[in-house]
Amino acid sequence: MLQRSSQRDARGAIVAALLTILGIALLPAGSYVVYALVWLAVATAGAASGYAPLTLARRGLIALPFTLAALPLIFIRGDELIWSGALGPAQLSISGAGLRIFLTAAVKSWISVQVGTILVRRYPIESIVGSLRALKLPDAIATGAGLTVRYVELLRGEASRMLRARSARSASPVGETRERIGGTIPWRAKVTGNLAGALFLRAYARAGRVEEAATARGASGSLSLGSLIQPDARLFMKVALAIGAFVAITAAGALLPRI
Amino acid sequence: MRPLLHIPDGFLAPQVALALWVATAVVIGIALRRIGQRGPAAASQTILMGLSGSFIFAAQMFNFPVAAGTSGHLLGGVLAGFLLGPWAGSVVMATVIGIQALLFQDGGLLALGANIFNMGVIGTLGGTLVARGIAATLGGTRRATLLGVGVAAWLSVMAAAGFTTLQLGLSGTTDISIGLPAMLGTHVLIGLGEALISVSAISFIAVSAPEIFAKSAPTAPASPRRRVAAGLIITAATVGLASLFASTSPDGLEKVATDLGFINTSQAAPFELFADYSIPGFDGVAGTALAGVIGVLVVLLVIVLLNRLASARKGS
Repeated sequence: MLQRSSQRDARGAIVAALLTILGIALLPAGSYVVYALVWLAVATAGAASGYAPLTLARRGLIALPFTLAALPLIFIRGDELIWSGALGPAQLSISGAGLRIFLTAAVKSWISVQVGTILVRRYPIESIVGSLRALKLPDAIATGAGLTVRYVELLRGEASRMLRARSARSASPVGETRERIGGTIPWRAKVTGNLAGALFLRAYARAGRVEEAATARGASGSLSLGSLIQPDARLFMKVALAIGAFVAITAAGALLPRI
Repeated sequence: MRPLLHIPDGFLAPQVALALWVATAVVIGIALRRIGQRGPAAASQTILMGLSGSFIFAAQMFNFPVAAGTSGHLLGGVLAGFLLGPWAGSVVMATVIGIQALLFQDGGLLALGANIFNMGVIGTLGGTLVARGIAATLGGTRRATLLGVGVAAWLSVMAAAGFTTLQLGLSGTTDISIGLPAMLGTHVLIGLGEALISVSAISFIAVSAPEIFAKSAPTAPASPRRRVAAGLIITAATVGLASLFASTSPDGLEKVATDLGFINTSQAAPFELFADYSIPGFDGVAGTALAGVIGVLVVLLVIVLLNRLASARKGS
């Protein structure tokens, strides 16, 4: 019998994703050969999941803005200078050690995002929540996450309608862009806050109705939302493979050359 | 302009990430136990928490234009914490941050513990306690509550940004002396947007659904001792944060004295405790911040002593 996608056991995949990301995090700085090998393995797993390598690689760039945090290290570390000179009125120097730390962080985050992307591509979020519950995620969090996932689109729809209504009621003066609609910044913030307050009241009312419906159907205590229905028979084999992959990544990081 | 608070994987050292996982698990475990102690009410609280998670996701769609190309967004930590209670609010934010990491890769999986710690524990749990503390200290009125929510919402963003930078610094992926002022400077405006939206949302709920507001707001003013303690914490935190932005340039008199050439005629002080707001053993920003906090404590001590002296004279 075919399993519904929301019933699939993602425990093996979750363990594999976490161990792979941990293995990547443990790789020493400058292990570019290992990074390339790990990325090849991840891209292959992505292709097996129906993700084209370039699409997956582009998806990995989502964490790129955060690399700004590591960018100053290239210029402020004084060790292993690879260039020093004047750039206009400013004196600049580029540190090899700083560049290595920056590239390491950027590449590690780029590959790790792709690992997470493949996990979500293969398993829908309901399945992941159910599998996390089976991995002993506390009931309150699992049920809360199940409800959050179930109702998020409904409330996003509500929010979209409220935003559309706000736009419809705001007249745009001639020559002004839509970005400049409205009064002062505190006024705009107040309107936005009112929308958030109104949306919370709708969520609050919806929670009451969900509780009433659950009680009417005989539910008491936990709703057990997000439960795993059919466990994977090959779970232990998948976990063993994940551990093997983790050992291989860390061993490669220790043995292969760094730059 | 969106906050840079969701740390991706690869930026934290594994030992930092794992330590924050442990810290987060402990706090969220306590929160779950507190929620579970509610008995039959826990089930309805769980349903409300689930729907509130959807609400936070949806409310993050709301933004308002601030200036060219930038807009204010809601993070929602203090808002959720204030409306649901600090423990339930922190669990809701932990759930939201977890789903953001899983579904949208907004923040890493190994870094999830750190992200929940920064935004769910410090931002939501800490922020809500600050909001309630300020509201109770100022008498528990509606205006005091809104002021508390506003200050706490701003502080929650700043604290989350500060902790994020410290963790990156501990991991060696940023330089704290450059990263901390840059992150806090960027998040000053983001925090202001968060404060304005949170206050407006609570204000709207207070008018539209006073019974929900009444359940969330503190009912009794705090005792004088708690007010002094809260005031002290807020002042020390504000001075500690503000001193990070202290200018290293000379003040007006020093500048004039230097320009006119009589700076060398000044005489050294007979004794020096914390010369130029520095503390031996603490270089740069950390020393200045610590000097500011010590200054607050000394001023408080002087006020307490003068107050006792005045009370003793009045008694005699």
